[in-house]
Amino acid sequence: MAYPTYKPTSRNFSAGNYSYKTFKSQSGKETRILYGDKRTGMTLDLSYENIADTVADDFITHYDEVKGGFSTFTLPNEVRTGWSGTAGAIDVPTGNNWRYESPPSITSVRPGISSVTVKLVGVL
Amino acid sequence: MAKVYTGRDGRLLLGSNILVKVTSWTLQADLETLECTTLGDSQRNYVPGVQSFSGSAALLYYVDSDNTNDASTLLQKLVRTSGVTTSDTVSLTLRLTNGGTNNDVTLTAYITSASIGASVGEVVSAQISFQGTGALTTANL
Repeated sequence: MAYPTYKPTSRNFSAGNYSYKTFKSQSGKETRILYGDKRTGMTLDLSYENIADTVADDFITHYDEVKGGFSTFTLPNEVRTGWSGTAGAIDVPTGNNWRYESPPSITSVRPGISSVTVKLVGVL
Repeated sequence: MAKVYTGRDGRLLLGSNILVKVTSWTLQADLETLECTTLGDSQRNYVPGVQSFSGSAALLYYVDSDNTNDASTLLQKLVRTSGVTTSDTVSLTLRLTNGGTNNDVTLTAYITSASIGASVGEVVSAQISFQGTGALTTANL
């Protein structure tokens, strides 16, 4: 099963960074060494508010299929619903994939209705 | 036959007993709505949440010929020396009657506020507010 194709109610994307190391001399001069040409470590927080329990459990099913935070996966276009910029701007660069940063969290709102929050991190 | 309901058709029952000297009652029914608007939607979408029922009533502080005081019965659910417990609910029926036909709403409720006062030249009356708990027992408005 691929990542569930539902439209989130809110989305927060953080762009991550390139791998580099900073060295600072006694004089204060800073030297940086770049270790990679791909941005990584981007995070994506998704909320799915007030959805049916039968929809909410799809996230747990997917979480099991990718063995929690172990395996990586790509995201469907529905995740970027409402974003009119370049799709790749809020996705991982080519060659990167997403994995779960923490387990999906389900909050039961009322019988049959729940809210789900998902935290993902982009990795090489 | 056409029928316009007036205050003369209103009744308030505590259990199965019609309370005398009730001057008014109101019922408020609410539905909590849960927003499920997603990114990309232009209009807000909702799913139904939980319902709630509340209301108020005004009664004259009146002792009947059989020594009963309906206002006192309700007031004592809140104006008391001991604390209110889960057994202190009342079954209230708000009725609009049309001859032999009754349009009832019956609910189990806690009395959540009660006020009473005395003024020169006025009849003593009590105002109560109630908060329904659980589903309506009867809904026949």
